[in-house]
Amino acid sequence: MFDLLREIAQSLSNNKLRTALTGFAVAWGIFMLIILLGMSKGVVNSFMENVSASTSSNLNIWPGMTTKPYRGLKDGRRIKFKQEDPREVTKENPSNVRETYASKVLDSATISTNLDYVNESVYGHVPEELKRSELKMIAGRFLQQPDLDNKRKVIVLHYKNAQTLFGSIDKALGGHVKMLGLSWQVIGVYNHDWEQGSYIPFTTAMAFQGQDGTVSQLNVELKNVETMDDAEKVEADVRESLSHIHQFDPEDRGAVHIWNQFEGYLRGLQGMTILNIAVWIIGLFTMLTGIVGVSNIMFVSVRERTHEIGVRRAIGAKPRSILLQIVLESVVITTIFGYIGIVLGTFVTSLIGRFTEGMDFVNNPTVDLSTAFQVMVVLIVAGALAGVFPAIKATKVKPVEALRDE
Amino acid sequence: MIIDLKNINKTYPGAVPLHVLKDINLQIDRGELVSIMGASGSGKSTLLNIIGILDNYDSGEYWLDGLLIRNLSENRAAELRNRMIGFVFQSFNLINYKTALENVALPLYYQGVSRKKRNRMAMEQLERMGIADRATHLPSEMSGGQKQRVAIARAIITNPSIILADEPTGALDSKTSKEVMEVFRQLNAEGRTIVIVTHDPGVGAQTNRIIRISDGRIIP
Repeated sequence: MFDLLREIAQSLSNNKLRTALTGFAVAWGIFMLIILLGMSKGVVNSFMENVSASTSSNLNIWPGMTTKPYRGLKDGRRIKFKQEDPREVTKENPSNVRETYASKVLDSATISTNLDYVNESVYGHVPEELKRSELKMIAGRFLQQPDLDNKRKVIVLHYKNAQTLFGSIDKALGGHVKMLGLSWQVIGVYNHDWEQGSYIPFTTAMAFQGQDGTVSQLNVELKNVETMDDAEKVEADVRESLSHIHQFDPEDRGAVHIWNQFEGYLRGLQGMTILNIAVWIIGLFTMLTGIVGVSNIMFVSVRERTHEIGVRRAIGAKPRSILLQIVLESVVITTIFGYIGIVLGTFVTSLIGRFTEGMDFVNNPTVDLSTAFQVMVVLIVAGALAGVFPAIKATKVKPVEALRDE
Repeated sequence: MIIDLKNINKTYPGAVPLHVLKDINLQIDRGELVSIMGASGSGKSTLLNIIGILDNYDSGEYWLDGLLIRNLSENRAAELRNRMIGFVFQSFNLINYKTALENVALPLYYQGVSRKKRNRMAMEQLERMGIADRATHLPSEMSGGQKQRVAIARAIITNPSIILADEPTGALDSKTSKEVMEVFRQLNAEGRTIVIVTHDPGVGAQTNRIIRISDGRIIP
């Protein structure tokens, strides 16, 4: 085996330029494949970081306007969610709904201190919202049940607003802001990628703007939902429950608007799988160019060495050993230069990773060991395939014919 | 009798089929030094190729050292060539990117002999040929006579009983030709059977028997 490798090294180094040019094509193909795989990995990482099955098991429901007449009721009727709705929805769908709660969105309000003021949306929420919206508490705490029970005038601010209003997050905590003509105590400061609103207890919000008992939004926490079918079924069930409560046609898509987060999550997962497949396909086709190049060059090499192969055959080389030599030459070229491509590709993806640190769309775009291993296997197989046809041609060389062309 | 050809016929197919060997009967005993002479196109090289199992024949029988050579697989033919026959060609047919030593050792590589052992054996052969100092040279750095000595060393390294030479002096000047022929005579003296194809009467004269071939037939 070692002898064979020596033979191969000798014949490859016999034509260095050609070997290098062929190798470059392979290295480039692999390099691109690694970059593509790395980037797609980065996108997948970023997606997986933002969402997960557990945080996505939610339906968010907003009221809309009926678009179909129903049981003598005219269309164009505005649906209004009531405070009792969550209980009804949970009760009617015991198998798939863990809990339902309502939230109240106040019109955006001016929040001020003697230092500055901000204009932000204000949400009346329940403690569960912390987990559902994935708010990251930086200081203090989020709303808790006693706040709701006592309709406390407490508020949770986004850290940017806290900084504007108080100069620093530390000063904000425990401080007071003015809003809607009243004084509110700041109990917590949070961070979130895109949400910047202020949170107050749901009950307090209802006391302000919910005297008629209407709530702005229903949030349904799901359970036992795993597949796309499950997600679609529970959405239909919840819509049906609401249609009983509010007297609208269950087929009426306009009456309530449902954002099915779990469905979105599954679609996202599907998208990631498709992305991964697409990247492999593109990468493999890029690589194919290099492989065809190797195959081509091996054909040229076999043709050039017809005479040499004839001599080898005359002095006792079996067709098998000629075949093995040509195939292995091809494998060695692709593997060595492919490896160079992998190393360079990994290096460049890690550079990209450094430059894109903190960006939303990619996160840690590196190729893991198993992917590198897969690429390596693809390389060796591709190298063998590239070599096999030229090699078969080489074994067809008759020693007497090879010796004749002098 | 080491080489025994009975009624060998060979035709190259084509638009006008070429009947190159016609009812060849030829017997060569062990230890003979024979030359096959004839004009170019007379079929002498084809005859040599058939004897060397490089080519097939259409009809007749070829017995090599008691073994019927007919419809052999490529692998079997390669094995027999490797062990029984040494080839020497007019244009030397050395591999140009291998040193003299590596060229000589190559037949042993295909026998699976270890690198160390085959290099040692190759060196011995080069010493015998008096060109040990050229061991690490490439063919392009050697003279014609030196190259042919390397080729002969390669032909005898597997210790074959037969050496087949196709115009071994065709590319050499008369002085070098003489030296190469002297090498063949020595090898013959050691008991090897040697068959030389040539159209040089001077070469033929140095062999023990001359077989003349003309138009595909042996002239009695």
